[in-house]
Amino acid sequence: MATFRLPTVLNEVIRAHNNQLIRPIKPKNGVNSFVFPCRKMVFNYCERSGSSKAMMEYLQKEALEFAKGNPQIEVIVQPRPSKHPLIRAFYTNDKQKTKTVRKCSIEEIPEVVKSLRDHSGHTLRRWNKYVLSDTPSVRGIFSPFHVHQEHKITDQKPQKQ
Amino acid sequence: MSLAKSLGLLGRRAATSAVLARGLRNQTSGFGTSMFGQQEAAEPSTSTFSALESRLNLKFKDSGLMEQVCTHRSYEQGRGVSNERLVWLGKRVLNLHVGEHLQKTYPNLPPETLQDVQHANFGLMGLAEVAKHFGMQPAMRWTPVVKEAPQVGLTKVLGKSVQALIGAVYQDQGDAAAKRFIAKHIVHSKPVDVENVMVIKNPKLMLRALCKRKELQYPVARILKETGRFTSSPVFIVGIFTGTRMVGMGYGSSIKMAEFRAAKDALLKHYAKEIKGIDIGEEEDGDFTFVPQENDGAKVGITGHA
Repeated sequence: MATFRLPTVLNEVIRAHNNQLIRPIKPKNGVNSFVFPCRKMVFNYCERSGSSKAMMEYLQKEALEFAKGNPQIEVIVQPRPSKHPLIRAFYTNDKQKTKTVRKCSIEEIPEVVKSLRDHSGHTLRRWNKYVLSDTPSVRGIFSPFHVHQEHKITDQKPQKQ
Repeated sequence: MSLAKSLGLLGRRAATSAVLARGLRNQTSGFGTSMFGQQEAAEPSTSTFSALESRLNLKFKDSGLMEQVCTHRSYEQGRGVSNERLVWLGKRVLNLHVGEHLQKTYPNLPPETLQDVQHANFGLMGLAEVAKHFGMQPAMRWTPVVKEAPQVGLTKVLGKSVQALIGAVYQDQGDAAAKRFIAKHIVHSKPVDVENVMVIKNPKLMLRALCKRKELQYPVARILKETGRFTSSPVFIVGIFTGTRMVGMGYGSSIKMAEFRAAKDALLKHYAKEIKGIDIGEEEDGDFTFVPQENDGAKVGITGHA
């Protein structure tokens, strides 16, 4: 199979595009405006299997309420025969999260739905810094434990001299 | 199939809620056929568009408007209604309001640089990032130029869709609403990058010319602090002065480089001077006369006073 090559004009366009020194800055969610991260949730169930029982009940009773209460989320209900029930959430940062709700009780499913809805979409990772900033302070953030002895806050009353 | 019917949502256009029930027959278009089920359905539906509207806190009077916004003219060879005309209108509305904001925020920038700043930050590339942030990419309806490379042209299409969105807001809800939308979601959602847009190749020369224009004294560089002069890693901190006032400060491993940075700093402090607190979305548009901002008397950077 021959390797695919883009036409020459497009090649040049892409090269010029990549050579641009200015990279656009991504908008930050939360700065002045907030865009809800969870954009779509897909509920999969199976008509016949027993593991989907609670899921079916949830879909019949509470799913519509959830969808109406969250107009910003596209809710899709799709049968998936002979498979365990699933809830799949899609986020605006092109990430997905899937949770199987096989054999879950009717009380557990709304909790799963809520946790997926409230997630930002970013992969869970350990943050070693407690503050992330575009303008970090040069000398570091203030810590009351690393001050001079005279400035330490204690319970003892200052001695009168 | 029975459950879907019992939900009573098959074939009905979702108006307030973005719910869609897909029957078994449609399963092949979704991810039922893929091995690991990780694919998303390729075609956006009415529920996608109404969800997008809600996510941006918009309520269009025309219900098909969002669909139009997301349809590029390459879709179905332009047979349906596309966002071309909305792009045309929206581009002008967007550029007007963004330009107004930049004009008020950066009083010392020459118009060529204002144009560059607007193009770099709020041109198609910047708007494409905004579109991805909104989650518009899965809602886009377009045909790539080259089928095997679907990413080619995506930036342009996404950028245009944001322009179309502004046009739609303007058309549907008026100028004030469009202005508020732009201020909220586009202008203030990220820091405006001015420093990297200004190409300053010879800062010392530029600074000398600027000082002459402003009738200030000839700029002189003086070392403020230094360390490690004859070692392998010296550091010089140089300040550039017009008379007795320092207008810029720079660092470097050589004196010349430090002077270079100091002159650049002085130029940026003058040209890229920012007036904070300007919010075009919160202004009441009584009449459309533009009143230029007055300096509040603080002598920042290079002014006519020594």
